Amino acid sequence: MAKTVQKKSNAKFVGVLVLVAVAGVATLGYMVAQPRAGIRPVDPNLAPGTAEGYLAGNPAAPVQVIEFGDFECPACGQWSAVTEPDVRTRLISTGQISFRFYDFPLDMHKNTWPASNAAACASDQGKFWEMHDQLFATQDQWNGEATRDPSKVLQRLAQSLGLDMEKWQQCFDSQVHYPRIKANQAEAIRRGINQTPTFIIGSTVYPGAVPFDQFRKAVEDEAAKVAAATAPSKAASRAATKPPSKKNPF
Amino acid sequence: MQRQAIAVLALAGVFLAGYLTLYHYGYVGSIACGTGGCEKVQASRYAVFLGQPVALWGVGYYVSVAAVAIAGSVGAGQLSRWPTTALLALNGWGVVFSAYLTWLEVARIHAICRYCVVSAIAVAGLFALSAWDWRVRRRA
Repeated sequence: MAKTVQKKSNAKFVGVLVLVAVAGVATLGYMVAQPRAGIRPVDPNLAPGTAEGYLAGNPAAPVQVIEFGDFECPACGQWSAVTEPDVRTRLISTGQISFRFYDFPLDMHKNTWPASNAAACASDQGKFWEMHDQLFATQDQWNGEATRDPSKVLQRLAQSLGLDMEKWQQCFDSQVHYPRIKANQAEAIRRGINQTPTFIIGSTVYPGAVPFDQFRKAVEDEAAKVAAATAPSKAASRAATKPPSKKNPF
Repeated sequence: MQRQAIAVLALAGVFLAGYLTLYHYGYVGSIACGTGGCEKVQASRYAVFLGQPVALWGVGYYVSVAAVAIAGSVGAGQLSRWPTTALLALNGWGVVFSAYLTWLEVARIHAICRYCVVSAIAVAGLFALSAWDWRVRRRA
């Protein structure tokens, strides 16, 4: 009798374990199988914004790409280190895309505003992208977890880039570019962006650190759309494939 | 009974920690910085411990607890005392580590991830059940 009760209890126990295991595996499997949330078309009714971001490449390239990024965001830093070099050499330098970086400083990051300020001041001396790369590469030295006051590290970065330090420091201290950063941030909010990095590739929004293969496929799809739309006009097509201008820093 | 409850709760924990591990590696959600607490916690430098994601350590912990609890719930294992000792030790360590992680969230990262809170509650529950098991068997 006791053995029968014990066997029933064990069977119930195993049944519950199996139930939890099946539910867990099914839930995780469902989540992994879901397409990445948030890929969506750009609202066609959205009026062009006034913020300009920071440009790399030929502004007349067939596909326009925008990154909304936060200098203190680890995912942005990871994308900058892993994917951006390929984007530069294989898409920007070849004239296939123009690339604009818009600051989107998130409230969760304490030192991201000074970092954006440092980059804007480097931009005055034509070294935005160099500072951009340095900021991402040294995130762990100046981010909110490393220090409360990142200005010394940012100064060191500016010095290492060979900037005119007097001009850079004056610019940094006066916060003269805060309205520009604010405008870039406002552009992100206006477009309904809620995470960094987020990319707008042509007419599609891609949230998250898009890997290079997906990025290139998106650019090719957009280029095909542009080519189809401009096929009747060969002249327009020629203009769209002209080599990168001197604005390309890579 | 207590060991069976521990096994079920730990198995559920395996999937919770498994979800956070998949999130860490970018298999669910997107690798990005958002405005939520989980993104901030997962993106912080404290999300990695001894070279591995904290969530993966969590999977290891829950798997160990579930394995010991299952071994102590079936066959001859039901009468053994070692699962009680092992569960008490594992879950005692779990509570300490979980408390440390919660302190990091509050004091260092300044963000709370709801999945981490659920995990902390589960670990506390596992420890309570282990202590109950230990008490019942000491009296027996």
